[in-house]
Amino acid sequence: MIHIQTTRFGEIELEENRLILFPEGMIGFPQMKNYVLLEHKPGSPFMWLQSAEAPDLAFVLINPHLIRSDYPRQIPLHGGSPTAGEDDREPLVFAIVTIPPGEPGKMTANLLGPVVIDAGTRTGKQVILADSGFDTRHQLIQE
Amino acid sequence: MLVLTRKVEESISIGNNVTVTVLGIRGGQVRIGIEAPRDTPVNRTEVVESIARQNEEASRAPRDLDQLKDTLAAGFRPEKT
Repeated sequence: MIHIQTTRFGEIELEENRLILFPEGMIGFPQMKNYVLLEHKPGSPFMWLQSAEAPDLAFVLINPHLIRSDYPRQIPLHGGSPTAGEDDREPLVFAIVTIPPGEPGKMTANLLGPVVIDAGTRTGKQVILADSGFDTRHQLIQE
Repeated sequence: MLVLTRKVEESISIGNNVTVTVLGIRGGQVRIGIEAPRDTPVNRTEVVESIARQNEEASRAPRDLDQLKDTLAAGFRPEKT
């Protein structure tokens, strides 16, 4: 078992095989390379990507296909073009949610820079879908 | 920063696997061709910076998402498939 210190959830204890290695870190956070995926609550659309190294570093994730049905389902972890087909062996795809302080109704999802996780090898990467037309601040709630 | 002068169709090698070629110059714009391994991300710097800024903002998420979940459930309008 491993113990991870977090500012939001206190100390959490997890199986060591829950660690996900991001060899290049997240964009803008190249130093932090180890993360764990945590469920928010049963039935919640959100997940947490918590750094195993920085207690205060965590990202809220959502399944981007809930937001855009045409979002790519296969995003290769090591280059190549995203495609729309489904394949169980393909990596998991998440969008990072930004929550403006005090204004949760204005939350946005980053569809341009999804997080891709290969559950088999337990490695992850933040990928940029260049020239895809998606943006970093997609409104989740339409006014 | 290393500064090199190149003519159209001349190139620069970076390491053993990356080649940057000047394809053309017109007005104030330069067309650049980049050959790099598939696992080397090549992106416009302003795009990478916009994602870094968004990550920074997103990383300050509040601990309690329950209100968020309710807000989303009440106002979420997923696209129709």
